[in-house]
Amino acid sequence: MGFFFIDPETYRRHKDNVIRLSNSIQININEHLPADQRKGGLSDRQIAEKLGLDEEVVREIRVVAERDYYPIDEWQKAITFKEDACRAYQERGVSYATKKYLKR
Amino acid sequence: MKAIQEQDCGQVKADLISYCLKNGALVAGVAGADAFDDAPDGFRPADLLPNAKAVVVVGGAAPRAGDWACTIPEHLETMGTSDRINSLGMKVAKVIEDQFGYYALFVPPGMNKGNRPFLSIAMAAELSGCGSRSLAGPILREKFGFMYFSAIVTTLPLPPDAAVESPACPAPECVQMWESEATTPCMQTCPIEDCGCIGGRIEEGRWVERRYDSARCASRVHTYWVPGFQKTLEAVLDEDDKDKRKMMLYGSFFTRTLWSITYAAQSQAQCLECMRVCPVGRDMRTKM
Repeated sequence: MGFFFIDPETYRRHKDNVIRLSNSIQININEHLPADQRKGGLSDRQIAEKLGLDEEVVREIRVVAERDYYPIDEWQKAITFKEDACRAYQERGVSYATKKYLKR
Repeated sequence: MKAIQEQDCGQVKADLISYCLKNGALVAGVAGADAFDDAPDGFRPADLLPNAKAVVVVGGAAPRAGDWACTIPEHLETMGTSDRINSLGMKVAKVIEDQFGYYALFVPPGMNKGNRPFLSIAMAAELSGCGSRSLAGPILREKFGFMYFSAIVTTLPLPPDAAVESPACPAPECVQMWESEATTPCMQTCPIEDCGCIGGRIEEGRWVERRYDSARCASRVHTYWVPGFQKTLEAVLDEDDKDKRKMMLYGSFFTRTLWSITYAAQSQAQCLECMRVCPVGRDMRTKM
Protein backbone atom coordinates (compact mmCIF):
# COMPACT_ATOMS: atom_id res chain seq x y z
CA MET A 1 0.00 0.00 0.00
CA GLY A 2 1.05 3.59 -0.43
CA PHE A 3 -0.11 6.71 -2.14
CA PHE A 4 0.32 7.88 -5.69
CA PHE A 5 3.29 10.00 -6.57
CA ILE A 6 5.34 10.26 -9.72
CA ASP A 7 8.84 9.00 -10.10
CA PRO A 8 11.50 11.73 -10.03
CA GLU A 9 12.79 10.98 -13.52
CA THR A 10 9.34 11.53 -15.07
CA TYR A 11 9.10 14.76 -13.09
CA ARG A 12 12.48 16.02 -14.27
CA ARG A 13 11.74 15.14 -17.88
CA HIS A 14 8.44 16.98 -18.12
CA LYS A 15 8.33 19.69 -15.47
CA ASP A 16 9.48 22.58 -17.70
CA ASN A 17 6.91 21.79 -20.38
CA VAL A 18 4.12 21.34 -17.85
CA ILE A 19 4.91 24.63 -16.14
CA ARG A 20 5.03 26.42 -19.49
CA LEU A 21 1.79 24.95 -20.80
CA SER A 22 -0.12 25.49 -17.58
CA ASN A 23 0.77 29.18 -17.73
CA SER A 24 2.08 29.05 -14.20
CA ILE A 25 3.94 32.24 -14.94
CA GLN A 26 0.81 33.93 -16.18
CA ILE A 27 1.05 36.02 -19.30
CA ASN A 28 -1.94 37.86 -20.68
CA ILE A 29 -4.75 35.89 -19.12
CA ASN A 30 -6.91 38.94 -18.49
CA GLU A 31 -10.46 38.35 -19.62
CA HIS A 32 -10.84 41.86 -21.04
CA LEU A 33 -8.09 41.27 -23.59
CA PRO A 34 -9.15 40.36 -27.12
CA ALA A 35 -9.36 36.60 -27.62
CA ASP A 36 -6.35 36.56 -29.96
CA GLN A 37 -4.17 38.18 -27.30
CA ARG A 38 -5.41 36.19 -24.35
CA LYS A 39 -3.24 33.26 -23.36
CA GLY A 40 -4.98 31.13 -20.81
CA GLY A 41 -3.11 28.15 -19.45
CA LEU A 42 -4.04 24.66 -20.53
CA SER A 43 -5.85 22.32 -18.16
CA ASP A 44 -4.07 19.23 -16.87
CA ARG A 45 -6.16 17.16 -19.26
CA GLN A 46 -5.14 19.28 -22.27
CA ILE A 47 -1.48 19.15 -21.27
CA ALA A 48 -1.73 15.40 -20.85
CA GLU A 49 -3.09 15.05 -24.38
CA LYS A 50 -0.31 17.26 -25.75
CA LEU A 51 2.52 15.43 -23.97
CA GLY A 52 1.08 11.93 -24.21
CA LEU A 53 0.83 11.52 -20.45
CA ASP A 54 -1.96 10.60 -18.05
CA GLU A 55 -3.88 13.52 -16.60
CA GLU A 56 -3.05 12.34 -13.09
CA VAL A 57 0.67 12.37 -13.89
CA VAL A 58 0.49 15.89 -15.31
CA ARG A 59 -1.38 17.08 -12.24
CA GLU A 60 1.29 15.71 -9.96
CA ILE A 61 4.12 17.14 -12.04
CA ARG A 62 2.47 20.57 -12.01
CA VAL A 63 1.72 20.58 -8.29
CA VAL A 64 5.28 19.57 -7.41
CA ALA A 65 6.83 21.93 -9.97
CA GLU A 66 4.85 24.92 -8.74
CA ARG A 67 6.29 24.41 -5.27
CA ASP A 68 9.72 23.43 -6.52
CA TYR A 69 10.08 26.46 -8.78
CA TYR A 70 11.77 28.70 -6.23
CA PRO A 71 14.14 27.57 -3.48
CA ILE A 72 13.40 28.27 0.17
CA ASP A 73 15.56 31.40 -0.09
CA GLU A 74 12.62 33.04 -1.83
CA TRP A 75 10.56 32.61 1.34
CA GLN A 76 13.20 34.43 3.37
CA LYS A 77 13.28 37.18 0.73
CA ALA A 78 9.48 37.43 1.01
CA ILE A 79 9.79 38.30 4.69
CA THR A 80 12.32 41.04 3.93
CA PHE A 81 10.24 42.34 1.03
CA LYS A 82 7.12 42.72 3.18
CA GLU A 83 8.98 44.34 6.05
CA ASP A 84 10.57 46.87 3.69
CA ALA A 85 7.33 47.64 1.85
CA CYS A 86 5.33 48.03 5.06
CA ARG A 87 7.99 50.26 6.61
CA ALA A 88 8.22 52.42 3.49
CA TYR A 89 4.44 52.85 3.51
CA GLN A 90 4.47 53.91 7.14
CA GLU A 91 7.21 56.44 6.50
CA ARG A 92 6.05 57.91 3.22
CA GLY A 93 2.53 56.65 2.64
CA VAL A 94 1.51 55.64 -0.85
CA SER A 95 4.04 58.11 -2.20
CA TYR A 96 6.82 55.59 -1.59
CA ALA A 97 5.50 53.87 -4.69
CA THR A 98 3.75 56.67 -6.49
CA LYS A 99 5.99 59.65 -5.80
CA LYS A 100 4.03 62.75 -6.83
CA TYR A 101 0.89 61.15 -8.18
CA LEU A 102 -0.95 60.52 -4.97
CA LYS A 103 -1.06 62.11 -1.60
CA ARG A 104 -1.06 59.72 1.30
CA MET B 1 -42.53 24.26 -2.78
CA LYS B 2 -43.25 25.20 -6.40
CA ALA B 3 -40.79 26.06 -9.12
CA ILE B 4 -40.35 29.80 -9.53
CA GLN B 5 -41.76 31.11 -12.79
CA GLU B 6 -39.29 32.77 -15.13
CA GLN B 7 -41.06 36.11 -14.87
CA ASP B 8 -40.64 36.06 -11.10
CA CYS B 9 -36.90 35.39 -11.11
CA GLY B 10 -36.08 39.07 -11.43
CA GLN B 11 -37.86 39.85 -8.18
CA VAL B 12 -36.31 36.85 -6.45
CA LYS B 13 -32.92 38.10 -7.53
CA ALA B 14 -33.65 41.62 -6.28
CA ASP B 15 -34.71 40.21 -2.91
CA LEU B 16 -31.61 38.05 -2.71
CA ILE B 17 -29.23 40.89 -3.61
CA SER B 18 -30.98 43.08 -1.04
CA TYR B 19 -30.48 40.34 1.57
CA CYS B 20 -26.77 40.17 0.72
CA LEU B 21 -26.26 43.91 1.01
CA LYS B 22 -28.20 44.11 4.27
CA ASN B 23 -26.08 41.35 5.72
CA GLY B 24 -22.70 42.87 5.12
CA ALA B 25 -21.85 42.55 1.44
CA LEU B 26 -20.44 45.64 -0.24
CA VAL B 27 -21.29 44.22 -3.64
CA ALA B 28 -23.42 41.33 -4.88
CA GLY B 29 -24.23 40.00 -8.33
CA VAL B 30 -25.16 36.98 -10.40
CA ALA B 31 -23.18 35.20 -13.12
CA GLY B 32 -24.75 32.76 -15.53
CA ALA B 33 -23.54 29.23 -14.87
CA ASP B 34 -22.94 28.79 -18.59
CA ALA B 35 -20.68 31.83 -18.83
CA PHE B 36 -17.51 30.19 -17.52
CA ASP B 37 -16.11 29.42 -20.98
CA ASP B 38 -12.58 30.40 -20.01
CA ALA B 39 -12.51 28.00 -17.07
CA PRO B 40 -10.87 24.64 -17.79
CA ASP B 41 -12.93 21.46 -17.90
CA GLY B 42 -13.84 20.36 -14.42
CA PHE B 43 -13.86 23.89 -13.04
CA ARG B 44 -17.21 25.15 -14.24
CA PRO B 45 -20.33 25.55 -12.09
CA ALA B 46 -22.11 22.51 -13.56
CA ASP B 47 -19.05 20.41 -12.73
CA LEU B 48 -19.81 21.10 -9.08
CA LEU B 49 -23.60 21.08 -9.15
CA PRO B 50 -25.64 19.31 -11.85
CA ASN B 51 -28.13 21.55 -13.63
CA ALA B 52 -26.49 24.69 -12.22
CA LYS B 53 -28.12 27.83 -13.60
CA ALA B 54 -26.47 30.70 -11.79
CA VAL B 55 -23.64 31.71 -9.49
CA VAL B 56 -24.41 34.27 -6.80
CA VAL B 57 -21.37 36.29 -5.74
CA VAL B 58 -20.97 38.44 -2.65
CA GLY B 59 -18.00 40.69 -1.96
CA GLY B 60 -16.79 42.63 1.06
CA ALA B 61 -14.96 42.05 4.34
CA ALA B 62 -11.82 43.86 3.24
CA PRO B 63 -9.21 44.69 5.86
CA ARG B 64 -10.09 47.84 7.81
CA ALA B 65 -8.20 51.09 7.31
CA GLY B 66 -6.39 50.47 10.58
CA ASP B 67 -5.20 47.12 9.33
CA TRP B 68 -3.65 48.73 6.27
CA ALA B 69 -2.06 51.41 8.44
CA CYS B 70 -0.56 48.98 10.94
CA THR B 71 3.19 49.38 11.26
CA ILE B 72 4.07 45.70 11.20
CA PRO B 73 3.42 43.54 8.13
CA GLU B 74 2.62 40.52 10.28
CA HIS B 75 -0.67 42.11 11.30
CA LEU B 76 -2.02 42.23 7.77
CA GLU B 77 -0.76 38.68 7.40
CA THR B 78 -2.77 37.31 10.27
CA MET B 79 -6.04 39.22 10.24
CA GLY B 80 -7.49 37.57 7.15
CA THR B 81 -11.12 38.61 7.02
CA SER B 82 -12.27 36.29 4.28
CA ASP B 83 -14.10 34.18 6.84
CA ARG B 84 -16.69 36.92 7.25
CA ILE B 85 -17.66 36.92 3.58
CA ASN B 86 -17.63 33.13 3.54
CA SER B 87 -20.05 33.17 6.44
CA LEU B 88 -22.39 35.36 4.40
CA GLY B 89 -21.99 33.02 1.43
CA MET B 90 -23.18 30.10 3.54
CA LYS B 91 -26.18 32.14 4.72
CA VAL B 92 -27.11 32.94 1.12
CA ALA B 93 -26.96 29.25 0.25
CA LYS B 94 -29.31 28.50 3.14
CA VAL B 95 -31.77 31.20 2.05
CA ILE B 96 -31.85 29.83 -1.50
CA GLU B 97 -32.57 26.30 -0.32
CA ASP B 98 -34.94 27.12 2.57
CA GLN B 99 -36.94 29.97 1.05
CA PHE B 100 -36.88 29.16 -2.65
CA GLY B 101 -36.42 25.41 -2.68
CA TYR B 102 -33.50 25.17 -5.10
CA TYR B 103 -30.10 23.55 -4.69
CA ALA B 104 -27.41 25.95 -3.49
CA LEU B 105 -23.77 24.98 -3.19
CA PHE B 106 -21.45 27.25 -1.25
CA VAL B 107 -18.13 27.10 -3.11
CA PRO B 108 -15.46 26.08 -0.60
CA PRO B 109 -12.78 28.76 -0.38
CA GLY B 110 -9.93 26.27 0.03
CA MET B 111 -8.01 24.19 -2.46
CA ASN B 112 -9.15 21.06 -4.20
CA LYS B 113 -6.90 18.33 -5.59
CA GLY B 114 -4.19 19.51 -7.92
CA ASN B 115 -3.72 22.59 -5.77
CA ARG B 116 -6.56 24.25 -7.63
CA PRO B 117 -9.66 26.02 -6.29
CA PHE B 118 -12.99 24.24 -6.65
CA LEU B 119 -14.15 27.10 -8.85
CA SER B 120 -12.44 30.36 -9.78
CA ILE B 121 -14.24 32.74 -7.45
CA ALA B 122 -12.34 35.60 -9.12
CA MET B 123 -13.85 34.62 -12.46
CA ALA B 124 -17.29 34.40 -10.86
CA ALA B 125 -16.84 37.86 -9.34
CA GLU B 126 -15.81 39.27 -12.69
CA LEU B 127 -18.64 37.63 -14.65
CA SER B 128 -21.22 38.74 -12.08
CA GLY B 129 -20.22 42.38 -12.43
CA CYS B 130 -18.95 42.59 -8.86
CA GLY B 131 -15.61 43.90 -10.04
CA SER B 132 -12.87 43.57 -12.58
CA ARG B 133 -9.51 41.85 -12.57
CA SER B 134 -6.48 43.97 -11.74
CA LEU B 135 -2.95 43.77 -13.04
CA ALA B 136 -1.90 42.40 -9.67
CA GLY B 137 -4.59 39.73 -9.77
CA PRO B 138 -7.29 40.56 -7.20
CA ILE B 139 -10.72 41.64 -8.37
CA LEU B 140 -11.21 45.35 -7.74
CA ARG B 141 -14.35 47.41 -7.55
CA GLU B 142 -14.31 51.13 -8.07
CA LYS B 143 -14.76 52.97 -4.77
CA PHE B 144 -14.17 49.86 -2.64
CA GLY B 145 -10.94 48.52 -4.15
CA PHE B 146 -9.73 45.18 -2.86
CA MET B 147 -12.19 42.90 -1.08
CA TYR B 148 -12.88 39.22 -0.53
CA PHE B 149 -15.52 37.26 -2.43
CA SER B 150 -17.68 34.24 -1.88
CA ALA B 151 -19.67 32.32 -4.50
CA ILE B 152 -22.76 30.12 -4.38
CA VAL B 153 -23.66 27.85 -7.30
CA THR B 154 -27.39 27.28 -7.59
CA THR B 155 -30.06 25.67 -9.73
CA LEU B 156 -32.24 28.75 -9.13
CA PRO B 157 -32.51 30.35 -12.61
CA LEU B 158 -31.58 33.91 -11.67
CA PRO B 159 -30.99 36.37 -14.51
CA PRO B 160 -27.27 37.17 -14.81
CA ASP B 161 -25.67 40.58 -14.41
CA ALA B 162 -23.35 42.04 -16.99
CA ALA B 163 -19.63 42.28 -16.39
CA VAL B 164 -18.26 45.69 -15.47
CA GLU B 165 -17.78 47.73 -18.66
CA SER B 166 -14.82 49.84 -17.56
CA PRO B 167 -12.33 48.00 -15.40
CA ALA B 168 -11.21 49.72 -12.20
CA CYS B 169 -7.62 48.88 -13.08
CA PRO B 170 -5.68 50.77 -14.26
CA ALA B 171 -6.90 53.75 -12.23
CA PRO B 172 -6.47 57.20 -13.80
CA GLU B 173 -3.55 57.88 -11.42
CA CYS B 174 -1.85 54.72 -12.63
CA VAL B 175 -2.30 55.70 -16.28
CA GLN B 176 -0.77 59.08 -15.46
CA MET B 177 2.16 57.44 -13.71
CA TRP B 178 2.61 54.98 -16.57
CA GLU B 179 2.75 57.78 -19.14
CA SER B 180 5.42 59.52 -17.15
CA GLU B 181 7.47 56.65 -15.76
CA ALA B 182 6.38 53.45 -17.49
CA THR B 183 5.35 51.90 -14.22
CA THR B 184 2.41 51.89 -11.79
CA PRO B 185 2.24 51.75 -7.98
CA CYS B 186 1.80 47.97 -7.81
CA MET B 187 4.55 47.33 -10.36
CA GLN B 188 6.81 49.82 -8.62
CA THR B 189 6.29 47.92 -5.35
CA CYS B 190 6.64 44.42 -6.78
CA PRO B 191 8.34 44.64 -10.21
CA ILE B 192 8.70 41.37 -12.08
CA GLU B 193 11.95 42.62 -13.63
CA ASP B 194 13.48 43.07 -10.20
CA CYS B 195 12.63 40.01 -8.11
CA GLY B 196 8.92 40.85 -7.92
CA CYS B 197 5.72 39.40 -9.30
CA ILE B 198 3.98 41.96 -11.52
CA GLY B 199 4.64 43.40 -14.96
CA GLY B 200 2.59 44.87 -17.76
CA ARG B 201 2.06 47.58 -20.33
CA ILE B 202 -0.68 50.17 -20.73
CA GLU B 203 -1.91 51.53 -24.05
CA GLU B 204 -4.69 54.08 -24.35
CA GLY B 205 -5.63 53.67 -20.72
CA ARG B 206 -5.98 49.87 -20.79
CA TRP B 207 -3.69 47.00 -20.00
CA VAL B 208 -2.51 45.39 -23.21
CA GLU B 209 0.04 43.07 -21.59
CA ARG B 210 0.26 41.40 -18.25
CA ARG B 211 2.86 39.22 -16.59
CA TYR B 212 2.45 37.67 -13.20
CA ASP B 213 4.85 35.33 -11.44
CA SER B 214 2.42 33.21 -9.46
CA ALA B 215 5.17 31.00 -8.01
CA ARG B 216 6.98 33.95 -6.46
CA CYS B 217 3.67 35.48 -5.37
CA ALA B 218 2.93 32.22 -3.54
CA SER B 219 6.12 32.65 -1.53
CA ARG B 220 4.90 36.11 -0.47
CA VAL B 221 1.21 35.40 0.00
CA HIS B 222 1.80 32.05 1.68
CA THR B 223 5.12 32.73 3.32
CA TYR B 224 4.10 31.05 6.54
CA TRP B 225 1.35 28.93 5.09
CA VAL B 226 1.34 25.44 3.55
CA PRO B 227 4.08 26.25 0.97
CA GLY B 228 6.37 27.58 3.70
CA PHE B 229 5.71 24.47 5.75
CA GLN B 230 6.57 22.20 2.83
CA LYS B 231 9.77 24.08 2.02
CA THR B 232 10.94 24.00 5.62
CA LEU B 233 10.09 20.35 6.03
CA GLU B 234 12.11 19.53 2.93
CA ALA B 235 15.08 21.50 4.26
CA VAL B 236 14.85 19.77 7.63
CA LEU B 237 14.65 16.31 6.09
CA ASP B 238 17.69 17.11 3.96
CA GLU B 239 19.70 18.23 6.98
CA ASP B 240 21.97 15.57 8.49
CA ASP B 241 23.09 17.57 11.51
CA LYS B 242 20.77 16.90 14.44
CA ASP B 243 21.54 20.23 16.13
CA LYS B 244 20.85 22.18 12.96
CA ARG B 245 17.57 20.33 12.53
CA LYS B 246 16.57 21.48 16.00
CA MET B 247 17.42 25.10 15.19
CA MET B 248 15.30 24.89 12.05
CA LEU B 249 12.33 23.22 13.72
CA TYR B 250 12.29 25.39 16.85
CA GLY B 251 13.30 28.57 15.07
CA SER B 252 11.18 31.61 14.19
CA PHE B 253 10.25 30.68 10.64
CA PHE B 254 8.90 27.20 11.33
CA THR B 255 7.24 28.26 14.58
CA ARG B 256 5.45 31.13 12.87
CA THR B 257 4.44 28.77 10.06
CA LEU B 258 2.88 26.34 12.51
CA TRP B 259 0.93 29.13 14.23
CA SER B 260 -0.26 30.22 10.83
CA ILE B 261 -1.42 26.88 9.48
CA THR B 262 -3.10 25.91 12.73
CA TYR B 263 -5.16 29.10 12.61
CA ALA B 264 -6.58 27.68 9.36
CA ALA B 265 -8.34 30.26 7.20
CA GLN B 266 -7.33 33.12 9.47
CA SER B 267 -4.02 33.71 7.83
CA GLN B 268 -4.02 32.92 4.16
CA ALA B 269 -3.71 36.44 2.76
CA GLN B 270 -0.23 37.30 3.80
CA CYS B 271 1.16 39.89 1.44
CA LEU B 272 -1.16 42.49 -0.10
CA GLU B 273 1.67 45.00 -0.59
CA CYS B 274 0.49 45.59 -4.17
CA MET B 275 -2.96 46.39 -2.80
CA ARG B 276 -1.66 48.65 -0.04
CA VAL B 277 -0.50 51.15 -2.67
CA CYS B 278 -3.40 50.70 -5.13
CA PRO B 279 -5.31 53.92 -5.83
CA VAL B 280 -8.59 52.01 -6.30
CA GLY B 281 -10.50 52.18 -3.03
CA ARG B 282 -7.80 54.29 -1.42
CA ASP B 283 -10.38 56.39 0.44
CA MET B 284 -11.63 53.23 2.16
CA ARG B 285 -8.14 52.63 3.51
CA THR B 286 -7.39 56.20 4.57
CA LYS B 287 -8.67 57.69 7.82
CA MET B 288 -7.59 60.49 10.14
